[in-house]
Amino acid sequence: MSESAIITTNNVNLWYNEKRALEAVSMKIPKNTVTALIGPSGCGKSTLLRCFNRLNDLIDHVKITGEITLDNKNIHTPGTDVVLLRKKVGMVFQKPNPFPKSIYENVAYGPRVHGVKDKADLDRIVEQSLRHAALWDEVKDRLNDSALGLSGGQQQRLCIARTLAVEPEVILMDEPCSALDPIATAKIENLIDLLKKDYTVIIVTHNMQQAARVSEYTGFMYLGKLIECGKTVQIFEHPREELTENYITGRFG
Amino acid sequence: MAEKFHTELKNLKTETLEMAHLGRFMLRTAVDALIRQDPDLAESVIVRKGEIHDLEVRLEEHCYHLIALYQPMAKDMRAIACTLKMISASLRIGRYGKVIAKIAKELADRPHIANLMSIPHMADLAIDMVDDAITAYESDDINLIKDFSARDDTVDALRHSIFREGITYMMEDPKNISRCTHYIMVARYLERCADHACKIAENVHYMETGERIEIK
Repeated sequence: MSESAIITTNNVNLWYNEKRALEAVSMKIPKNTVTALIGPSGCGKSTLLRCFNRLNDLIDHVKITGEITLDNKNIHTPGTDVVLLRKKVGMVFQKPNPFPKSIYENVAYGPRVHGVKDKADLDRIVEQSLRHAALWDEVKDRLNDSALGLSGGQQQRLCIARTLAVEPEVILMDEPCSALDPIATAKIENLIDLLKKDYTVIIVTHNMQQAARVSEYTGFMYLGKLIECGKTVQIFEHPREELTENYITGRFG
Repeated sequence: MAEKFHTELKNLKTETLEMAHLGRFMLRTAVDALIRQDPDLAESVIVRKGEIHDLEVRLEEHCYHLIALYQPMAKDMRAIACTLKMISASLRIGRYGKVIAKIAKELADRPHIANLMSIPHMADLAIDMVDDAITAYESDDINLIKDFSARDDTVDALRHSIFREGITYMMEDPKNISRCTHYIMVARYLERCADHACKIAENVHYMETGERIEIK
């Protein structure tokens, strides 16, 4: 990977109690690219994704060893501001989870928490974030309506707008389209393609065609190990590892 | 679903092999008809033109269906890419067989000049290459194609030699012009068949390894 890495993992291991969920994972995530993590259920891809903004800290009995850096800084050093880390590394989940508030408030919530008070500033951030998330034109006349009244695809784009509002560097997406219909999925995929100009996107997906469509780099995980990581074209055209070959050609998984 | 796809892919390969064998059979039989000056044998090749065309359309459509319905990846994708090339090459080889068969009919009335020069030998070499390319596709064995570059050079050299020899006979006696021109054309078609064998070989190599090679 020739681009400069924004996130690196070096020999990362993770245990849930006694169960080892990640085993010696070392990889580099290049800046301003889309990286997809694929692999069968339970292979550790979501666990790895949650390592990047320390969401696993919220789970009891988790032990992590190895090093993860963001912008060359170890995210586990004592004194790391986890709130700031999660501002820099935003996350979009499988199921759209807007707050039970208005569309405007959903997007303005994060900037407010981080100290933006001026109404004009908030208005600007809300509009810009909704535009970046390709939702502005659909909601600009009903910003005060409840976010829960939006369709599933719109809710997911609202969640992306909410993530963008705090100006992250990296956006983690955990199966962002699995609850959406094909049209909403296509919109999110188009959006991911646009986002990589300004952000680094890491996406976990069960859908291999989606990984192939949206990403430039793909990592294949199996039983907690990163089996192979490389350019998406190479992984899907001629993977180096037989295990990767067998998985992506549907021979197991 | 993966199992169903792999069964379909296997069936596609089996049918493609049948088409490849038909193309190869048309070429071999046409050359035999030319050597034996047997117009009936030549005609038996010409009548199979429609059959190989129909196979081309049907098998290509099968490939497109598999791509559209299953979005194949990695070796599966490469196998379909190789199969599409195999289908085109088999059609071309079969069509050269048909064209040589037409020439065989035209040249059946009088004895051959110089025992067809090196055409029978050249045909054996070219058809051996076609055979090995087909077997490599069938068995995934790329060892069969590793000396294709040298074998193709020999076929090219024979075409050149037939060309020069043909010109010599033409200059000796203008009545030979028509017949020798046909010989030169047949040599050209056989050379093209060896080139198609090389193309198949390149694609089998890609199918097997994911790496592109060029057989020069």
